[in-house]
Amino acid sequence: MSPLRHKLLRDIRAQRAQFLAVIVTIFLGVTIFAASYDSYQNLTASYETTATEFRFANLTVAGGDVEGFATLAAAEPGVESVELRTVADVPIQVGGLKLLGRVVGLPTGAQPSVNQVRVTEGTYLAASAPDLVLVEEHMADHFQLTPGDSFEILAPAGWVTVETGGVASSPEYIWPARDRQGLLTSPDNFGVAFVPESLAREIAGTDGSNEATVYFVNGAENEDLADLLLSKAAAGGATVSFTRADQPSNTALSEDLKGFEELAVFFPFLFLTAAALATYVMISRLVHAQRPYIGVMLANGFTRRQILTHYLGYGVLPGLAGALPGALAGVLLARVITGLYTSMLSIPVTLVQFYPATLIAGVAFGLVTSVLAAIAPALLASRSAPAEAMRGNVPVGGGRPSIPERIVPPLRRLPIPWRMAMRGIERNPRRTAFTVLGVVLSLTLVLVSWGMLDTIVRLMDRQFVEIQQEDATVYFTGPVESADVTGLQSVPGVAVAEPVLQIPAVLTAGGRYETTLVTYQTGTTMHRFFGEDGRERPLPTDGILLGQALRELLRIEEGGTVTLSAAGTAVDVRVAGFIDEPIGTMAYASRDYLEELTGLELPATAALIRYSEGSDLDSVRAVLVEQESVAAFEDANALYDTAQEYMIFFYVFVGVMLVFGGAMAFALIFSAMSVNIAERTREVATLLAVGTERRQISRMITAENMTVALIGVPLGLGAGYLAAKQAMASFESDLFAFDLYIRPSTLVVSALAILVVALLSQWPGLRAIGRLDIAKIVKERSM
Amino acid sequence: MGLSLTNVWKTYGEGPTAVHALAGIDTEIASGEFTVILGPSGSGKTTLLNLIGGIDEATSGDLIVEDVKLIDMTADERTSFRRSAVGFVFQFFNLIPTLTAAENVELVANLTMHDGADRANEVLDQVGLGDRLNHFPSMLSGGEQQRVAIARALAKSPPILLCDEPTGELDFETGRLILALLRRVNREQGQTVLLVTHNAAIGEMADRVLRMRSGRIVEDRRNPQPVAATELTW
Repeated sequence: MSPLRHKLLRDIRAQRAQFLAVIVTIFLGVTIFAASYDSYQNLTASYETTATEFRFANLTVAGGDVEGFATLAAAEPGVESVELRTVADVPIQVGGLKLLGRVVGLPTGAQPSVNQVRVTEGTYLAASAPDLVLVEEHMADHFQLTPGDSFEILAPAGWVTVETGGVASSPEYIWPARDRQGLLTSPDNFGVAFVPESLAREIAGTDGSNEATVYFVNGAENEDLADLLLSKAAAGGATVSFTRADQPSNTALSEDLKGFEELAVFFPFLFLTAAALATYVMISRLVHAQRPYIGVMLANGFTRRQILTHYLGYGVLPGLAGALPGALAGVLLARVITGLYTSMLSIPVTLVQFYPATLIAGVAFGLVTSVLAAIAPALLASRSAPAEAMRGNVPVGGGRPSIPERIVPPLRRLPIPWRMAMRGIERNPRRTAFTVLGVVLSLTLVLVSWGMLDTIVRLMDRQFVEIQQEDATVYFTGPVESADVTGLQSVPGVAVAEPVLQIPAVLTAGGRYETTLVTYQTGTTMHRFFGEDGRERPLPTDGILLGQALRELLRIEEGGTVTLSAAGTAVDVRVAGFIDEPIGTMAYASRDYLEELTGLELPATAALIRYSEGSDLDSVRAVLVEQESVAAFEDANALYDTAQEYMIFFYVFVGVMLVFGGAMAFALIFSAMSVNIAERTREVATLLAVGTERRQISRMITAENMTVALIGVPLGLGAGYLAAKQAMASFESDLFAFDLYIRPSTLVVSALAILVVALLSQWPGLRAIGRLDIAKIVKERSM
Repeated sequence: MGLSLTNVWKTYGEGPTAVHALAGIDTEIASGEFTVILGPSGSGKTTLLNLIGGIDEATSGDLIVEDVKLIDMTADERTSFRRSAVGFVFQFFNLIPTLTAAENVELVANLTMHDGADRANEVLDQVGLGDRLNHFPSMLSGGEQQRVAIARALAKSPPILLCDEPTGELDFETGRLILALLRRVNREQGQTVLLVTHNAAIGEMADRVLRMRSGRIVEDRRNPQPVAATELTW
């Protein structure tokens, strides 16, 4: 090994703590990149393979003349298969619960040509067993249904008992969403059963199919074809039509994938930037300290290229040491994440692959980061003038009063240690800037993660506590009469009951949007409406309220007119305003207003109830479910509870990010502060020599370091807020409005946490003061 | 009072690799004496100065400075000793670059008095820098920086002044001025001055000269007629 390489390794060993900090930061950045990017790739591949293997529909059309549409679609080049089926949202009674479920008709004997299912338990539907059904995996898990178990489905003629013939997963229900506007469901409130088509028709009370599913050649996406077929579907009177991208389950999964994509870019960027800063600070200090040796090497004939390469080595080695294991760990972690994730969601096909490109990219990112950081100091070293460098006494930064002292001259009368701290900050502006940037990056990392959590908690509270006022929705076995609703109020524990109508609707203006129309009675107390200005407003009696995303999607303004197609009719309605709701983009209207406008009688589809205070919710539910007229019961709190369960993942995520953020902050601030202390070793030794106590010196250095950290705090809070806003905006869609909300306590705790990390990170440096060889240092030439 | 060293050893390492920086120093230096310690590099002169100043510890022997026994002191006790008993002047000045001349001195003066600002001005005036109080080190010449360093050493009015190659970084003229200043301080304030140098000519200005070699005092002589610093040549 060449002497220079020995020197490189020994220098690194001598400063192992600082190099280790850099290595750890690079390791974390590369690990997060490789883990999240490979998870993203694995999940995307799993979804795509699932879609192909199970012939996941490229297009689904419901309502109107679906048979006519199916004929038209089948004739289109690019369409491989068209399947007709019957789908009905009907009450299901299982395990003492009544929920609003869904039956999906399937051919018996053989899988359909579109939207096939994977039978995980039992057997596929057979013509010889018309009462056997397949239970969708989530429902089967929740109610512990296995082949042989029976449950009931409400048909027009009454409850039909069916037997579980098997358990199945489906690409349509990987995420068990009822519809696009109802991505959040609870297994207590929604379950799917795949039944023989004939039984599905019987349950739905129809003679023919009501839904057509279309599979393009090889399942490949084809936007033009999809647009063409969507227009044909609309012409055929379809009430619901969506492409694969808008399919409810797929929409939810895409949102999740977006999260992985975001993780794969944003967080590694933060970590690698931090690593670059730490590397730069460290190597700059090294070059500064080794100027005389650099001079000697140059004087002895080393070429500038050799010096450049040598000092680049201080970036290459930690870069490789962090990036190689980081990429490997990330790739392995991605396998674990993918496995956990796909098993949690019951994705029919799990593809865990090795992507050499991720490994290479991870190593390259880590390496490029540290090499880029090393370039400037290495160039400085290689361009040194030998004679000047050998003298070693680089001019010390010219002293002058600090900016605050210049602006407020009385500050010059502050105790000298204070003045030293203020001036120390300006002494090496670049390093101060990097320390500040370190605090900013750390706070950004913490706030983006924590802001995400706060926003989602707030979003849940706003939707389920502030906006939705009902505790449950009760569905009836027959048309909902006023007496049914009034009757509910006599049930002990029920305080208020109101009728509600929820039907699929299509809104058309400058654009077209399929959503759910929800009508309440005038003066409803079951739903609060908040305008875009945040003010509450009543349900209008002269128009409809639309979710704010529709302003852009329909290109319509308040007071404009949209065509509302629902319940087999189409009317022009006035847009009374836009409302701000975090989940879903619905249309709301007063039932009286719509009945008057359409001239139709619009019977309620369910009743909303609110419990009396202090009532026992389980017993109220039990009483209601026992009533024969009650077909299904949807517990609004179950939805909230389910959402809260998912929050556990966020808590874990935020916890991990806080640990990572803390580690990054420690690594960065530790590097900067170590250099800060190292640069003034001689001053410290001199102060010790003249009799200054160690704790006094520690206080002076701490004051300076913490002042720098404090400067970074407001900047970090600002940057973190903006980054969090940007991160949340990237998740926004017509279905979710992620307005960033960060609790003030989050800001305070984050800032304090980073300051504590800053305080702790200088501890090793301050401890080193006690070990200084005063006699040796005071004798040394200034570096 | 003064200094008393009895069989003082300073050894680095152990066993066959042990290096004796000081090998049994025995000497006494009286209060108010201006002593120059001469010797080539590695002779142990700086080590001796560091032991007397309490910034290094002897391996064995007795070392009494101003009635304070320095052997077996804790770090805090040594700090306290340095604060009250000695002032240092280093070859490379070791001024804090972010503090003005006055602030550099005041910082040290504050260690022993409540408000060291007046004292700082007073000693800077004594070393001829009354008009440079608010200059930062980078604005001062080498000689001026060393004068600030001397003022800093004097600020606490220590009974002993320890100077390690105080002229090593200065040109001939400036070096002589600094030596003259040290001699003046010694005469006017009665401080004991120990000055380490490898420049034999400087020995001519001292009351006493200790010559060292290989960790031992090989010559101990007194100058009956010390030469004025301004008349030294080298």
